[in-house]
Amino acid sequence: MAEAGRAANTVLLRRLLLVVLLMFGFAWGLIPLYRVICEVSGLNRVVAADRLADDGSTTAAVRPVQLVLDTMVQPGLPWQVLPPARQLQVRTGQFIQLQYTLRNNSRQAVVGQAIPHYLPAEAAAYVKKLECFCFRQQVFQPGETRHFPVVLVIDRRLPAEIGSITLSYSVFDVPGQGEGRP
Amino acid sequence: MVMAHTADPQPVVHKPHGWRRWLFATNHKDIGTLYLWFAFCMFLVGGVLALCIRTELFRPGLQFFQPALFNQLTTLHGLIMVFGAIMPAFTGLANWMLPLMLGAPDMAFARMNNWSFWLLPPAMALLLLSFLVPGGAAATGWTLYAPLSVQLGMGMDLTIFAIHILGVSSIMGAINIVVTIINLRAPGMPMMRMPMFAWASLITAYLIIAVMPVLAGAVTMVLTDRHFGTHFFNAAGGGDPILYQHVFWFFGHPEVYIMALPAFGIVSQVIPTFARKPLFGYTSMVYATSSIGVLSFMVWAHHMFVTGMPATAQLFFMYATMLIAVPTGVKVFNWIATMWEGSMSFETPMLFAIGFILLFTIGGLSGVTLSVAAVDVQLHGSYYVVAHFHYVLVAGALFSLFAAVYYWFPKMTGRMYGERLGKLHFWWSLLWFNVTFFPMHFLGLAGMPRRIPDYALQFTTFNQIASVGAFMFGLGQLIFLFNILHSLRHGKTAPQQPWEGANTLEWRLPTPAPYHSFHEAPELETAENGVVLDMRGGKHG
Ligand code: HEM
Ligand SMILES: [Cu+2]
Repeated sequence: MAEAGRAANTVLLRRLLLVVLLMFGFAWGLIPLYRVICEVSGLNRVVAADRLADDGSTTAAVRPVQLVLDTMVQPGLPWQVLPPARQLQVRTGQFIQLQYTLRNNSRQAVVGQAIPHYLPAEAAAYVKKLECFCFRQQVFQPGETRHFPVVLVIDRRLPAEIGSITLSYSVFDVPGQGEGRP
Repeated sequence: MVMAHTADPQPVVHKPHGWRRWLFATNHKDIGTLYLWFAFCMFLVGGVLALCIRTELFRPGLQFFQPALFNQLTTLHGLIMVFGAIMPAFTGLANWMLPLMLGAPDMAFARMNNWSFWLLPPAMALLLLSFLVPGGAAATGWTLYAPLSVQLGMGMDLTIFAIHILGVSSIMGAINIVVTIINLRAPGMPMMRMPMFAWASLITAYLIIAVMPVLAGAVTMVLTDRHFGTHFFNAAGGGDPILYQHVFWFFGHPEVYIMALPAFGIVSQVIPTFARKPLFGYTSMVYATSSIGVLSFMVWAHHMFVTGMPATAQLFFMYATMLIAVPTGVKVFNWIATMWEGSMSFETPMLFAIGFILLFTIGGLSGVTLSVAAVDVQLHGSYYVVAHFHYVLVAGALFSLFAAVYYWFPKMTGRMYGERLGKLHFWWSLLWFNVTFFPMHFLGLAGMPRRIPDYALQFTTFNQIASVGAFMFGLGQLIFLFNILHSLRHGKTAPQQPWEGANTLEWRLPTPAPYHSFHEAPELETAENGVVLDMRGGKHG
């Protein structure tokens, strides 16, 4: 019994040690694994090539769409954001240029970040912005006013049931970046 | 006649004396004792660090410790409590009790067992030594997050080395536990009837074998990033610091269950004993424990909800985390059902077990709250998380350890502990534990971040309550120490069966358990949860 028992113990010991080795290897394997997962799922992709339907990949016709422009400032912040109009009649596939006016109403330099938001949400994938002040944080000197062009195209593949798109910008404060920063 | 007697294989009663008995220990009881005392010493060391933290936090502003040192204190408190106190204490108990509960002569690999223990003191010495080197100890928090861990001074190298040693130690301990449980059970003790404590130890040991190598891998990568020019976690070199968090928490979440499952096992032995009823739903307990073990590998990213994971991943980890609450709930209901209509008595082990159920459930509930990704964005990195894990670790793991020590003390030492002091220890700990940690929920909800030496004025009152509670809680542990030391010498002599309702195998042995037990495997007739109906043979010397 003792001999057989000891042999069985050693066999199990070897198997468990193998698991230990495999799991140590697995930890290192996680590095390429995560890279693959990130690539396949596009998680870490900050810039990606995009294209419009104008390359002939769709037969969808150009059609009119109503564009509603909305702006929002988080409570207590000194920004004023003016869209060029409240509503516009535009067409899919058309290059649309909008002129936004942003003003810092305070006596301090401020840094802000605008976040775009779309209604209905599924329209987001079809609004392609080529230029926007929301691409980066904006620094404003005390009382400064600036005009920003926003250039966008609404993809012709926009589903037919979407007749109106609301584009809304919310401006947020970037804390710790105000006074004294470039 | 005489011939027959001498031919009988007599167990060698070999009990070395002096320091050799401990340094060269191969007896599972000696090694268990070493583990338990070591864990208790580390509990005191970690506790002193915690009291330093609470001293600094008694008032806003910087009083005693500069931020750098304060961060070292929180880091070492966490590492010492996890790897020096809780884990070794559970391994020690498993060493002491498993052979007795399963009818094995000893652990499967006695010499390896010696190594697993004796690796611990040098590892802990390295950790403590790191306070003294230039730059001080690791100041990252116990999670050792990159990139900070890549940048710190040589204290970090000592920490990494210590973690490697600790890893080797706990893996060897775990292998011993698995082999003992799988191969050395006495005839008549099938897996599906063995005590829940054995099941819990088995699954815990598997978890250790699976994830300690992953931690070793993670810290090795930090080490090569620090010294050998790799860039695993350095964004400037093409690495990714978020990756560290994934690798760490792949270890880290199973690790929290490594500290929880053995507690479940202990409580599943103590409650039936003092309710004088068999454990309710034994089979479901086994499956619940196993499924917790499996699920614990699939929830790691609930520690990373604010790292910018895509919404689908957040949802997956949120629901997977909530799912773990189901088997955990099964266990809680089973314990309550075991007590239901039992003829209960409330000796100290039972008090700690009931306290465990109560407070662990609160910790589980705050866990489920944290698992809601949208809520966690607010609570992550706040004192709410600190409250959560102290409910599951102090009132969970630690209380279960107290229950276990009181429960098995008579069998281990042959003497009874002081019941009045034990009860005092329980009520004292229960009270001051809650005074310490309950206000931390409020602090976290109000927005106080964890791991900071200074805070905004509005947090003062709750912090002061917590600090007072912490000192009183710490003081109460001296009651425990005194009770143990005093009872070792002057305690009443314990009968073989100090608890009326205890019916697992260890209680069939004389008290105190003989130095060599079950030299010959006993023939058992058992029922669920290790209940022994009949025993034949089973020599000891
Ligand atoms: C119902 C079961 C549980 C759930 C749903 C749960 C959920 C969570 C979540 C979501 C977090 C992350 C919070 C954050 O950092 O924002 C967390 C942290 C933590 N949990 Fe749990 N938990 C549970 C049980 C446990 C148990 C049993 C333990 C240990 C015995 C434990 C120990 C910890 C620890 C140590 C942390 C903090 C880690 C750190 O950041 O340092 N939890 N838990
Ligand atoms: Cu977790």
